Amino acid sequence: MRLRSRGRLVAITAAIALMSTACAGQGQGGGDAGAANGPVTLKFWNGFTGPDRAAVEGIVKKYNASQNKVRIDMEIMPWDVFFEKLLPSLGSGTGPDIAAMDTAQIPQYAARNVFQPLDDAYGPQGVDPNALVRSAVDATTFKGKKYGVPMNFTTLKLYWNKDMFREAGLDPEKPPADWDEFGSYAKKLTKDDDGDGKPEQYGLAIADHATIAMWPILFWQNGGGVVSEDGRTATLDDPATIEAARHWADLITKDKIAPVGLGGADADKLFQSKKAAMEIVGPWMTTGFKQAGIDFGIAMPPAGPKAQVTLGTSVAFTLSARAVGAKKQAAENFFAYWNSKESQTYWSVNSGFPPNRTDLTADALKGNPYSALFGQDADKSRFYLAGVQEFQKVNETIFEPALQRVLNGKGDVEQVFGQADKDIQTVLDNAQ
Amino acid sequence: MGQDNRGLRLTWRILTTAIGLAIALAMLFPLVWMVATSLKPESEIVSFPPKLLPTTFTLDNYTGVWERLPFTRLFLNTVVFAGTVTVCSLLFDSMTAYALARLRFRGKGVVFVLVLVLLMVPFQVTLIPLYDLLAHLGWINTFQGLIVPRLTNAFGIFFLRQFLLSIPRDLEDAARVDGASEFRIYWRIVMPLAVPALLTLGLFHFMYNWNDLLWPLIISQDASRQTLPAGLALFMGQHVVEYGPLMAASVMTLLPVVVFFIIIQRRFVAGVATTGIR
Amino acid sequence: MTTSVTTAAKPVARRTRAGSARRRQARAAWLFMLPTLVVLGVFVVWPMLQALYLSFTDYQVFAPARWIGLGNYQKLLSDPAFGNALVNTLYYAAVTTPVSVALALGLALMLNRPMPLRGFVRTAVFVPVVISLAIVAIAWSFLLDPDIGLLSYWLSKVGIVSGQGWLRDPSLAMPAVMLVGIWKNVGFYMVMYLAGLQSIPTALYEAARVDGAGAWPQFRRITWPLLANQTMLIVILAAISTLQAFDQIFVMTHGGPFFRTETLVMMTYRVGFKEFQFGYAAAVSWALVLLIFVLSMLQTAYFRKRAVTY
Repeated sequence: MRLRSRGRLVAITAAIALMSTACAGQGQGGGDAGAANGPVTLKFWNGFTGPDRAAVEGIVKKYNASQNKVRIDMEIMPWDVFFEKLLPSLGSGTGPDIAAMDTAQIPQYAARNVFQPLDDAYGPQGVDPNALVRSAVDATTFKGKKYGVPMNFTTLKLYWNKDMFREAGLDPEKPPADWDEFGSYAKKLTKDDDGDGKPEQYGLAIADHATIAMWPILFWQNGGGVVSEDGRTATLDDPATIEAARHWADLITKDKIAPVGLGGADADKLFQSKKAAMEIVGPWMTTGFKQAGIDFGIAMPPAGPKAQVTLGTSVAFTLSARAVGAKKQAAENFFAYWNSKESQTYWSVNSGFPPNRTDLTADALKGNPYSALFGQDADKSRFYLAGVQEFQKVNETIFEPALQRVLNGKGDVEQVFGQADKDIQTVLDNAQ
Repeated sequence: MGQDNRGLRLTWRILTTAIGLAIALAMLFPLVWMVATSLKPESEIVSFPPKLLPTTFTLDNYTGVWERLPFTRLFLNTVVFAGTVTVCSLLFDSMTAYALARLRFRGKGVVFVLVLVLLMVPFQVTLIPLYDLLAHLGWINTFQGLIVPRLTNAFGIFFLRQFLLSIPRDLEDAARVDGASEFRIYWRIVMPLAVPALLTLGLFHFMYNWNDLLWPLIISQDASRQTLPAGLALFMGQHVVEYGPLMAASVMTLLPVVVFFIIIQRRFVAGVATTGIR
Repeated sequence: MTTSVTTAAKPVARRTRAGSARRRQARAAWLFMLPTLVVLGVFVVWPMLQALYLSFTDYQVFAPARWIGLGNYQKLLSDPAFGNALVNTLYYAAVTTPVSVALALGLALMLNRPMPLRGFVRTAVFVPVVISLAIVAIAWSFLLDPDIGLLSYWLSKVGIVSGQGWLRDPSLAMPAVMLVGIWKNVGFYMVMYLAGLQSIPTALYEAARVDGAGAWPQFRRITWPLLANQTMLIVILAAISTLQAFDQIFVMTHGGPFFRTETLVMMTYRVGFKEFQFGYAAAVSWALVLLIFVLSMLQTAYFRKRAVTY
């Protein structure tokens, strides 16, 4: 009896140990074995969970069918899940070969040598940089090298709800043209009928955290910004930035033209539920707003006192530093296919994003009116925190909380932004 | 006098019933809302003023779940993950608890303190080193990677040890005098007595792993190994959230645990009761 | 003669038999624990020790770790973010622990007596325990949304208006996540109290009633002291779990607005996973482990001192 019981325990333990070693052996067998014969398989992760998902899947499917040397094995997940999984997996070599991400996120990884430079992916044989939107290509640059190839590019535009404009006595076909109109329209569109101090309808939905950059556009329009264009100097305490922040913060806190504390999804939801009349956001929301039955217009955001400018934003392919040899070649082949005329036409028509290429005719894109709209004024767009190494720290740890403090009345703009400016400068200097 | 008393008692009865009902409804409110929301079309979910019950009733969100997620696959993965972990963990936890509560040996104190310390360490601390270890073993995106680190659990050991301390030793002492092996005593005498506690702990293990998000999210890399909560996380995005299908999928994810609980409910409360914990 | 032989031989034999029995027991004990020790050792203790080592380095996940001694721990002392997270953690635990335990006791007392719908109410109170906090927190966020949230809307109908919304208002966000934490866990502690109540002999109450003691004295003199052990265990378990608060904060506020709901575990997550400062994140979490350990010891000591044995 005693013997048997011990035997059982030993057997269980042995089974565990065996399982461990067996699986360990299996794991190490992986690697680049596929390179010799059969197609090269590339793991590709991205965050296109929205209505643009189908277009991404369409191109990957076409690419896989178009040749038999490379197979793209794609996983799509929301961006926050994507980044959660990316960190441990890249660190231990179990991550994707190709990871697509906002260009502002690239330097954090590039600085830690997780990605490899992709300068040689560009050229007449591969991705032709002259045919692409210049600023999107430049945005992949970190310390003089290109670490990405554009996957998409767009500008943000002002959406406005035409029915609400009509109801407020405004011309539904005429969006605000400058800051004065922007502010006064927003005030007219804000309604607090029951007088409880909390409007039932807001003029504007603008997110202050967990969002694509919305506030920095306002700073740029006044000649300010979070950091300088070369990414070396914090400019949060520049008079231009402070003036812009104070102007809009006043409209929000005193005139209540927008609620305080919105995340990106909250702002979208507010516009979608017809509780806000205007929002500055990208082409990915057109589908959702249409489904909600909103009659909306799209235009360049109103010009500021100093500049007419909006956000340009791009998701780029990156390549893991571990993907070398055949894998690298395969990846570059895929990047070129993605940016070919044919793929870009397909992409634009099916996603509503403008094409990455500048040489497609209007006729080719007429299948989707939004594509052309969001491609307009690309030359008046600016990338947020381009080339700044510590995007996360500068944006989420310092800038957004500072902005929220101001909007919640916890300190004066000058003092809060002044401190944040110093903190950002320290981060920028440490990264040099 | 007696009449008065009866009237008072009736009022009291009605009052406590009303309070009880109010508490129950308050506790269930978010769930009721989730079920109601999963039956509304998307435009109604985000409309104002909000209503609890749908005006247009639709099952589109439920069919939408199947379009967006390999739901059956995720469901089976979750059953395999939570089920295996629960069964194995009950076995290993109880074996260890038996040793700690019933056997005399040197080093017992050290092992028990170790268990207590493990109870206090937040999981997030070990996540990265553990991931590296599993990656080294080639266990990322495998069932063994998901399951093996969970095969035993400090809380389970602690919980069962407390329980075993509370049951009388007479039977096993008699068995020991008769020369029964320790395994026989554990398996034939102590475990049958521990069934209520094992059921309770089984529910905890099952619901904890069924519901767990971060771990399966990070270890799995595609739908072949994802669990339901990890799959659900794929519905949410910074700018795009589809609430209808999200709520439908959530309801379908929560349902099995609630049903499991209702089935074992009676024995569950008994299980905690007999644990007695002293 | 024969008797003297047996009496002389017996103690020796008994001692060796006892000795071998003890050895046998020890061997059995280690065999029983073997699977657990292997799994815990390899998959929990080893990563834990690594995390401990990494807390003395500048590990950034992608590059090899560099030893910096106590650098991370020194940084903790002067980092306002750590101070903030520590205060938030203590604030969260100091409110949710006693409130959950008190509510659980009240519910258990109420639901221990026969009443209509008792089973239903018990189940309803316990259901939040078994469902996923990550999922229900999404529902809570939506319900509390100031613009289209049903709960906010109903509250505004009865005159409770949160202009900015519960989760976006810096002074209301923490109470909101506390509410969800309490809602989630109170059922668990209630069931533990119910178990304790059921183990109190009814004879004690009958005797008290004969003596003419009312409800309150009965509670003071019988129920409360006899639940002391239960209370100790519940308070310690509740404190450990509230000090590790993460799930609903992660989903509902992500630590915001401006770090007002950032607890220590949340901070570990942000610093480690988002800013890649894993060495520092490990130091933060070891500080939390130390905090939990010290508080648990203090609680144990406190309850031991007041423990009543019958």
